[in-house]
Amino acid sequence: MKGGTCVKPAINDWLDSCIEKLNAGELTETDLRCVTDILAEKKQLILYLYSKSTNLRSPLGGWALYDATATDEPVLPSQDAPYTSVLEAVNDGWRIVQFPRPELYNFTDVDNAYLTYEFILEKFV
Amino acid sequence: MINVEPTLNDLQVMQFIHNGYITLENIVDADFNKECESVDGGRLNDFVRADEFRRNVLLHPEVAGVVRSLLGANFLVPTSAHHHLFQAPHRGQTWHSDGITEYGYGITHLQCYYYPKAVKIEDGPTMILPGSHHRLVDREAIAHYGDILGQLSLTVPAGTVAMTRYGIWHKAGPKLNADRRGMIKFSYYRTAMPKRDWARDSDEIPPYQHQGRHPYVTEIESYRDRRRGELTWNWLCGLTEVEEPIPPIQMFNSGIPLSEIQLQS
Repeated sequence: MKGGTCVKPAINDWLDSCIEKLNAGELTETDLRCVTDILAEKKQLILYLYSKSTNLRSPLGGWALYDATATDEPVLPSQDAPYTSVLEAVNDGWRIVQFPRPELYNFTDVDNAYLTYEFILEKFV
Repeated sequence: MINVEPTLNDLQVMQFIHNGYITLENIVDADFNKECESVDGGRLNDFVRADEFRRNVLLHPEVAGVVRSLLGANFLVPTSAHHHLFQAPHRGQTWHSDGITEYGYGITHLQCYYYPKAVKIEDGPTMILPGSHHRLVDREAIAHYGDILGQLSLTVPAGTVAMTRYGIWHKAGPKLNADRRGMIKFSYYRTAMPKRDWARDSDEIPPYQHQGRHPYVTEIESYRDRRRGELTWNWLCGLTEVEEPIPPIQMFNSGIPLSEIQLQS
């Protein structure tokens, strides 16, 4: 995820198709130009980051990436956070679309509930 | 009544209060594991009521010893169970707690997972989040959570029983292969108020020792976990008047008192 390593499956499909046609001697300029259409289609990625405080430099306690362009294959769980902080994700091109608002949390002395502090970020690829 | 000796000590009970689970690895007899490997998925009520299942799993001295320690002497022994059986690859379940979260300070219900066959990471092991049994949540409102620091995949040898406080967040992890992965889930319930029901070195009750901070937990949350742990410890030691429904609600499962069970020799 870091450094824009997400590659559209559509690009992979286009590349496979071109290689197949190249090997068969059937590759055309039109085939190559198709990539511009694929690149023009921007899709939204959503990233949830759970920060240890409202400070954007705080370490993370959890994360979830929703990528509608990815395949539906199962992926093993990970304990390696994609970023060290929300700020590092912002530096990598993610835009914050929702900040946690502490006044909405039901503060009590004893009881914990949902994971805090939930930042929602987006990136178009 | 069948004699069941408690197996946990003060420190182990405090660890259970903090983590919300304990695993007993490779304790069930290998031949019995083989028998259980091939049972169908779904409800298994008749199967778990048989003496053989009671002797090998439900009343296994190590399993029952933990139950005796945490739920007291005449606990309810499961008379129902569900075999969660997965075979095809899948992306995994979403994080959830079962039923209506039982959120009191007491420990009145242990939900257990028995694995007749070894579970590898590719098999889609059950995942749990230690410490999450302290969190009251709407199960549908945590379904978007992904990886959480400190989450645990129960990759275990055959014959393992994991015992959890009801309410712990869990899910079937992502499954990469098409191998059969089964888990038989059943519950024990408390029938009487607690009185420090585990093994004791002395009659002096030690103060609760907080067992540290789970990796995903914030600083204020760790203070709350500590306070909540103290309240649970005091309740288990019979030091508080906090009332809990006993036995608790049995929404999906049932049991009979240990005193009513007679195993055929």
